[in-house]
Amino acid sequence: MSAKRLTRDAIFTAVALIIFIIELQIPALVPVPGVKLGLSNVVTVCAMFLLGPADTAAILFARIFLGSVFSGNMASFIYSLAGGLLCYLVMLILRKRLGEKQIWVCGVLCAIAHNIGQIAVAILVTATPYLISYLPILTVCAIITGLFTGFCAQFAVSRLKNILR
Amino acid sequence: MIKTKTWVIIICATFAVSAALALIIPSLKTDGTIANVYLDGVCIRSIDLERVKTPYSFTVTSERGENTILVERGRICVQSADCPDRICVDQGWLSGSVSPIVCLPHRLIIRIERRAKSDIDAISQ
Repeated sequence: MSAKRLTRDAIFTAVALIIFIIELQIPALVPVPGVKLGLSNVVTVCAMFLLGPADTAAILFARIFLGSVFSGNMASFIYSLAGGLLCYLVMLILRKRLGEKQIWVCGVLCAIAHNIGQIAVAILVTATPYLISYLPILTVCAIITGLFTGFCAQFAVSRLKNILR
Repeated sequence: MIKTKTWVIIICATFAVSAALALIIPSLKTDGTIANVYLDGVCIRSIDLERVKTPYSFTVTSERGENTILVERGRICVQSADCPDRICVDQGWLSGSVSPIVCLPHRLIIRIERRAKSDIDAISQ
């Protein structure tokens, strides 16, 4: 791995972490477990469309691991990891299928995938299949927040692609 | 490449279906009156809410943290907790809805069901 690539990935991770930590300070908007803005996903989506799958996997994992350490909430690690993994798979599928003006779709589908991953883990961890009753409200919130993060990522990609390539 | 219009339709349809379900689910009522408190998927306390005379609270402690649960006649809530997000507290009172109170960080769930899953409190209260 070249020094340039390492530095670039480190900057992406740092930006994602900063956004993640700042977002932690924002109180929960809706009293439903699992609902959050998911702003750090902007960085992940950008990375996928600008840097490619390998770099994105590294950035995503580093962000999830360090995010759990810095927030002092290791209990959330497994939820974030499951959500992040499913989100990553969705991005992998969508990467070649979305045009530059459609990146926002990735934001939405990622947010939904993230919630499905989290709920799946929550059901396994707590052995309560009933938690699935939260999926519809989580999906509604995910579409709204996903639209926002998706468009943020799209605008960021269109401005960054000339600098990074 | 799928057209943008198709994506918009897919996402709008998902939104509509989810929104409809999200509105329906909280209004679904269980006919049970027994609040079962689960920690790590194991029922640790069952309380018959109809038989509660005076409000009282108790604390559920695990290696992950504490949740103080308040019980009144016909309803139950998490009064305070030391979890990071305190969503369990924000969820407020639970009285007959099928959606459980959830504290993910502490793996604590309160559900209202027909049967007691633990016989400790159903008898002592």
